[in-house]
Amino acid sequence: MDTNWLNNMVSEITSNSLLKQAFEYSFKEPWFFTEFSFLFVFSVFLIFYTFIIKQNNFKKIYIICFSLFFYYKSSGPFLFLFILMIIIDYFLAFLIYKKKGGLKKIFLWISLLFSLSFLLYFKYSNFFIQNFNQLLGTSFNQHNLFLPIGISFYTFQSISYLVDVYRNEILPAKKMSDYAFYMTFFPHLVAGPIVRAKDFLPQIINPNVLNKILYKESVLRIIIGLLKKLFIADYLGKYVDIIHQSPTNFSGVENLLSMYAYCFQIYFDFSGYSDIAIGIALLLGYRLKENFNNPYFSKNITEFWRKWHISLSNWLKDYIYIPLGGNRKGKFNTYLFLSATMLIGGFWHGADWRFLIWGLAHGLALIIHKIWSKLFPNLKHNAFSDFLGIVITFHFVALCWILFRSNSFTDAFTSINKIIFNIHLIDFNGFWFSRKEFCYVLIIASTIVFIPPFIKEKFFLFLNRLPTLTWIIWIMISLQIIIQFKDDIVQPFIYFQF
Amino acid sequence: MKFKKKDNKRPSRLLNLWAGISFFIPVFIIYAYSYSDHIFIVKGYEIKKLITKKNNLFLKSDGLESNKNKSDSAKKTSTSTDNNSLIKNIDTLLPKEQWAISDYKRLNNSIEFSDTIKHRILLIGDSECGGLCFPLNDYCEQNGHKLLLTLAWNSATVFNFAFSDTINKIILKYKPSYLFIVFGLNELPARDLEQRKKAADQFAKKIGGIPYLWIGPANYMNDYGINKVFESAAETDCFFLTNNMELPRGDDGRHPSIKGYRLWMDSIAKWIKISAKYKISMEKPTKSRYTFKSRIINLNAVNFRGY
Repeated sequence: MDTNWLNNMVSEITSNSLLKQAFEYSFKEPWFFTEFSFLFVFSVFLIFYTFIIKQNNFKKIYIICFSLFFYYKSSGPFLFLFILMIIIDYFLAFLIYKKKGGLKKIFLWISLLFSLSFLLYFKYSNFFIQNFNQLLGTSFNQHNLFLPIGISFYTFQSISYLVDVYRNEILPAKKMSDYAFYMTFFPHLVAGPIVRAKDFLPQIINPNVLNKILYKESVLRIIIGLLKKLFIADYLGKYVDIIHQSPTNFSGVENLLSMYAYCFQIYFDFSGYSDIAIGIALLLGYRLKENFNNPYFSKNITEFWRKWHISLSNWLKDYIYIPLGGNRKGKFNTYLFLSATMLIGGFWHGADWRFLIWGLAHGLALIIHKIWSKLFPNLKHNAFSDFLGIVITFHFVALCWILFRSNSFTDAFTSINKIIFNIHLIDFNGFWFSRKEFCYVLIIASTIVFIPPFIKEKFFLFLNRLPTLTWIIWIMISLQIIIQFKDDIVQPFIYFQF
Repeated sequence: MKFKKKDNKRPSRLLNLWAGISFFIPVFIIYAYSYSDHIFIVKGYEIKKLITKKNNLFLKSDGLESNKNKSDSAKKTSTSTDNNSLIKNIDTLLPKEQWAISDYKRLNNSIEFSDTIKHRILLIGDSECGGLCFPLNDYCEQNGHKLLLTLAWNSATVFNFAFSDTINKIILKYKPSYLFIVFGLNELPARDLEQRKKAADQFAKKIGGIPYLWIGPANYMNDYGINKVFESAAETDCFFLTNNMELPRGDDGRHPSIKGYRLWMDSIAKWIKISAKYKISMEKPTKSRYTFKSRIINLNAVNFRGY
């Protein structure tokens, strides 16, 4: 029997460098769910998890430790900053809960400033320095900063916890381990969904029990997430990257198809991540909320924001839009608050004017839709108007994504200009001929996106009938399909950078 | 996606264990296969391995330092994986030897070549292709060849052909046995000959392995050496120099007229039979015009740079 592979494998594992790599943080290669090494370690983690499944405290500690290890592999030394934030927020939440009146508010502001300070420093300081320099002609040096992965997500989680405690909507977590578990739980740690303490803390005390139905659902979500990310998003991303390096050099058709491609890339990338996160959490007995609900199927922009990155939309609504005044302070203020909320939402995505304009564009679109709805409240909907609504909403969102993806304003406007004024149908011919594989993937992606949701549900219910024992085969086949088609270099999840 | 949830509150260790195993075994098999020396091929497709030169079990290597501890056999495995990989990145496809007819022997120049092989022909080039394809089609019909496709890449230069994969993809798709290439009209005034020489060499590499005839542009003005550049890049006796011909010009003054294209093709055909390295039968058509059944793709380099 040929045992060369075993020797090779053992020698790899036992060699010092490999063990070192396994436990050492690599700046160039942070850990993602899409890394096979992660899947390998996770499967071992799951097997050991079996033996402590009935001891809730052990289970909690075990998951926290793995989550911290996961974060260390993703962000290295920033782990200590994260731990510090957890400890201080935990005690501040208690102070907020116990104090009354003005002091309560003061502690809330202290805790909010503390949580936000990390985000402001790492993500926005260079942006402010740069603009300050440009505005006043000063020459303050910019810092060479590395953005800790997931900081935007866990800062928002921490804020939601502190504000909910302040509003007496939840009690502060009794044990430090409960709060640490909520904050560090690795499936949602680095790119969401942004979990609310009131949804998640009760599950820590009383987690779900894995049954066959949940097992199949979670495995299916992991497989689908991996396929979405590695099979579709990464493939489309290769083409999008080429176009956005220099949109001037490409025709209107090429820019147009790049716009569609990025639309699908970002959706499959982020919803793929969310699917994997939800699947992994389910396997461990915890249910995270859905983050996407067929967003490109929306008939208007308001509906789109109810279906796209749901956890962020809800967070912005509950912690910015409503506290600002919501729709309680007159029409004009409602529109103002809406724009401000979307502006902050845009800025949350990145410290760049492009993201601000992107947020503003969406804010304006929401206002226009609100005005439209008030002007024509009794407008009848039929299949055609719904279809038109979907087409318009999709294309508006797609155009805005160009701002999101472009390297600069100039590139974004060049691309939009080419799409609007430089489309020659004849160019489709050459494009189809030269990039047939890309066109196939684009067609597959758009078909998946625009299939009516009830058909997807039926398909999933059909898969659910497959015997439990056969799922190992589906996992095997899916992973091999991914290997067959994936690039040597897997792109990081787009939302990791935010 | 939500399944109908049966709320079964009995924790099942067995199911949890199965959850772990159902991921562990597939991933383990994938790694074991990656470290083995075997390569499985199913219906002509290689089952790819996870580990390549740049990967190892836990992390992609950061360079030589992390590679140096790899065992020799692992290195051997990864090299063989790379070489045997059938699924290539679409942007790095190169012409495959399997379509080449490598046994062409150069015959004595004085003897006219007689050949009964029916070729699959591609005509590739700039706007001149749009005119040359019709007389070439007549020759193909007369001699039993098949003109598969004409790619008229208007305004294209050697850079478009050399630094994109468009030609590779066309070759991969149509699997021609003979290529006619004509371009250079747009770069007659070019003086950056060194750059163009590099591009021409690159282009020659791309089509290497498939018999071809590279036709120089129909000069409407004296060039600064572009013909020499192309000639030096092409294989010996694979370049047809056009600039000494008096071809009737079309209305635009740049391209040959219909008659000009016909005369040009006649000269090319004659030259192929006598002087070309890769000779094919090119008897003069007995009919004045055959039905044009082939396909023409018109591209514009202004909008379509190539891939």
